[in-house]
Amino acid sequence: MKKEKIYSIWFLMPAFVIFAVFFLIPVLSSFFYSLTIWDFKTFTFCGFDNYVMFFSEPSLNTSLIHTLVYAFMTSGLKVLFAFFIALFLTSKIRTKSFIRSAVFFPNLVSAIAVGITFTTLMHPTKGIINIIIKALGGSTVNFLGDPNIALFSVIAVDVWKGVSIATVIYIAGIQSIDSTYYEAAQIDGATFWQRVWNVTLPMCAPAMDSVIILSLIGGLRCFDLIWAMTGGGPGFATDVIASVVYKQYAAGFYGLSTAGNVIMLVLISIIAFPLQHFLIKREEALS
Amino acid sequence: MKMKKLLAVSAAVAMSATLFVGCGSSDSTAASAATSVAAAAETTAAEAATSAAAESSTTEASTTETASTEALAAPEADLSGTTLTVLVDADTAAEGYEAVFAAATEKYGVKFDIETRVGGSDGDNLVKTRLASGDIPDLTLYNCGAKLFALNPTEYFYDFSNDPIANTFDDTFKSTVTYDGKVMGVPVYTTQAGAVMYYKPDYEELGLSVPTTWDEFLSNCKALKDAGKTAIAGSFGTSWTSQVIYLGDEYNVLAENPTFPADFEAGTAKYATTAAGLESFQKLADVIPYYNEDYTATTYDDAVDMLANGEATHWISLTQALGNMQSLYPDAMDDIGVFAIPGNDPDNCGLTVWYPSCWYVNKDSANVDAAVTFMEYWCSKEGLDIYNANSAAYGPTCIKGYSLPDNVLKCVKEDMQSYFDAGKTAPALEFETSVKGANCEQFTSAVGTGQMTAEEAASQYDEDCKKQAVQLGLNWK
Repeated sequence: MKKEKIYSIWFLMPAFVIFAVFFLIPVLSSFFYSLTIWDFKTFTFCGFDNYVMFFSEPSLNTSLIHTLVYAFMTSGLKVLFAFFIALFLTSKIRTKSFIRSAVFFPNLVSAIAVGITFTTLMHPTKGIINIIIKALGGSTVNFLGDPNIALFSVIAVDVWKGVSIATVIYIAGIQSIDSTYYEAAQIDGATFWQRVWNVTLPMCAPAMDSVIILSLIGGLRCFDLIWAMTGGGPGFATDVIASVVYKQYAAGFYGLSTAGNVIMLVLISIIAFPLQHFLIKREEALS
Repeated sequence: MKMKKLLAVSAAVAMSATLFVGCGSSDSTAASAATSVAAAAETTAAEAATSAAAESSTTEASTTETASTEALAAPEADLSGTTLTVLVDADTAAEGYEAVFAAATEKYGVKFDIETRVGGSDGDNLVKTRLASGDIPDLTLYNCGAKLFALNPTEYFYDFSNDPIANTFDDTFKSTVTYDGKVMGVPVYTTQAGAVMYYKPDYEELGLSVPTTWDEFLSNCKALKDAGKTAIAGSFGTSWTSQVIYLGDEYNVLAENPTFPADFEAGTAKYATTAAGLESFQKLADVIPYYNEDYTATTYDDAVDMLANGEATHWISLTQALGNMQSLYPDAMDDIGVFAIPGNDPDNCGLTVWYPSCWYVNKDSANVDAAVTFMEYWCSKEGLDIYNANSAAYGPTCIKGYSLPDNVLKCVKEDMQSYFDAGKTAPALEFETSVKGANCEQFTSAVGTGQMTAEEAASQYDEDCKKQAVQLGLNWK
C-alpha cells in the first residue's frame, strides 16, 4: 500500500488558482500580445517587430540605459548613506527617537507630492535651492531642465525619499548584533572604525542584502517619482522603461507597451536572480 | 481513503468559498447599485421622451432656418434633475463654457459636474485611459482631427450626423470631426492659429516691424536680446507648447509642397527628406538662444503673464491663449499683436489654423438625450452669443450663418483676419491627416533643449508617426 500523504494536493488549489489567475495567465498572455499589434479588440500578429522597435529606436532604447543608471545609482547611494545614518542612530546619542522619526518622515509622503514639491524647489529661477545658491554667490543650476543633469536630480530626490526604509532595515540588523562581539573586539584593542569594519559590517550582511535587493528592484521599476518630476523629459532625458511603457500604452500602442513590460520583467529577472543568489552565497560564507 | 479525499476536496472548497465571501457581499451591493442605476435610467428616459417631443418640434423649425443659413434657435426642454458630468482641460479658458453652463442651468434646470484634467500628452493619456476603462463622462472636451481619430471615436461617442446642428458646421471643420462618415463633435470655440503673439510696445520702442521671413524674425529677436529684453517666452514646463513652432510652420511646408499631407498619410513623404519639413524642426533649434533663462520650467500660465506684462516680447503658442490673457489682463489686450510663423518667401506669409477642441457626447450614457439637447443649445444663437460674449473669439467661427459679437479682440480682428481675407491660411497637419506621432512634444522639446539636432528629431519623428500609422492600419513600409 502506498504511503498515505497527510496533506492532500487539493489544499494547494485555492492558492494555485489565485496564482494562476493573477500571475501565470497575465504573464503568458502578455508574452503573446507583445508579439502583436493590438487594440484590445483585434490583434495582428507581427512577430518580434515590437521588440526590434524597442531596441532600435533611440526614443525607446535610451530608457534602458537610464533605467540601469537610475537603479544602480539610487541603490548604491541608499546602501551607503543608510548604513552611516543607521550607525549614527544606533550610537549613544540623546535625541535618538526624534532623529529616527525625522529620517523616516520623507517615506511617509507620497512620491507624487515629493515630486511636485521638489519640482518647485528646483525651479531654475524661482526655486528656493537656486535662490540659496545665488545668495551664496554661485551660478544657478537648471536641475530638471538641463538634460545632462535632470536624471541625477531625480536620483538625488529618490535617495532622499528612499534612504529611510534602508536605514530602518539597517537599524534592525545592527541592533540584533550581540554586544559581546564589540566587547571582545574592544578588549583586543580595536578602534571604532575597526569595529565597524570587522564586526558591524559582516554581522549586518543580511540586512544589507535586503537593502540592496529591495532598492535595486525598486529602482528598476521606478515610475511615480520620475513622472511627477519630469514626465520623462525634457525630451527623453529622464525616460525609464516604466515611463516609456506608460507613454506607449497611453498612445494606444498596446502591443508595443506590452513588449516593453516583458522587457522590464526579463531585465529585472536577469539582474535580481543572480544577484540574490550571489548575496545568499556570500551570507552563508560569512556565517 | 476515499473518505479522506472527499474531506480534502470539501475542505478546499470551503477555503476558497471563504476567500470569496468578501467579493460576494460587494457583488450584491454592485447588483443593487445596478438596479438603482437602471431605475434612474428609466426616469431619465421618461424625461428624455418629453424633451425628445420638444426637440422634434425644434427640428422642424430649425431646418427651415438652416436653409436661410442662420444660427439655430435654442431647443425647448426641461432637463431638471439631470446632472451632466463634464471633463475639460485646464488650458481652455473657462469663462465661456462656464457662462453657457450657468445659462443652461437657468433655462433647463440641468446641472453640471465639471472635472478638470491636464492638457498635453498627459491629458491625452488620461482621456484614452478613461475611454478604455469605460469611465466616460457625459461630455468630454478634446481635440479634433488626428488626435480624435486616434481615440477610435465611433466606439464611444454620439453621432451628430442626423442632428440639425451638424448642418450648421463649417465644411472644413466638419471634416475634422467626421470619422467613418459620422459627425462626432461640436465645436467649443472658434478656429485659432498656431502663431507668434507679440508685445507691441517693445516693437515700437526698438522700431521693429513685423517679420515676413524667418531670418527677419531671428534678427528681430537678436535686436531684442541686445536691448536686454527676453525675446521669446519658452513655456516647456507645459510641454505641448513646445510643438507649436514646428506644427505652426505647416503653412510654409505646404507653400513648397502642396501635396505634403496626402503624401505623408500615404507614407511617401517624410519630414527627414522634405526640405521645408526639416526647416520646421530647425526653427525649434534656431530660437534656443532667445528664450528666457528658465524656459524649461516656465508653464503656459507663466507665459501668459510674461507676454501680457511685457516681460517677454514673443510667445509662440496657440492663440487660444488670448482668451486666458483677456480674462486675466483685459486692459493689456491692445498691446498684444499676432503674426504668422514666417517662412522663406516674404510675399507668401500665411497662418496655420487650428480647428477648435470639441465636445463629445458619451453615447452609452443614461444622460445622452439631455447631453444632446444641451449641445443643440450650445450651437444655437443664444448659446453661441453667451459663449462669445464671455470669451472673445480667437479667430473666425466654425458655425455657418453665425456672426461673432463685436467684442472680438483687436489682434484677432486686425492681425489674424487679414490672413483669412487674403486666403493665406492652411490647416495644421493634424487636421489633414489621421497620423500624428504620439511623442511629438517630446521630440520638439528635445530639439528645443539642444539634445537632438533637427535632422535627428525629424527622422525619429517619422519613425514615431509610423507606429501610429501601423496602429491605424495604414500600410507604411
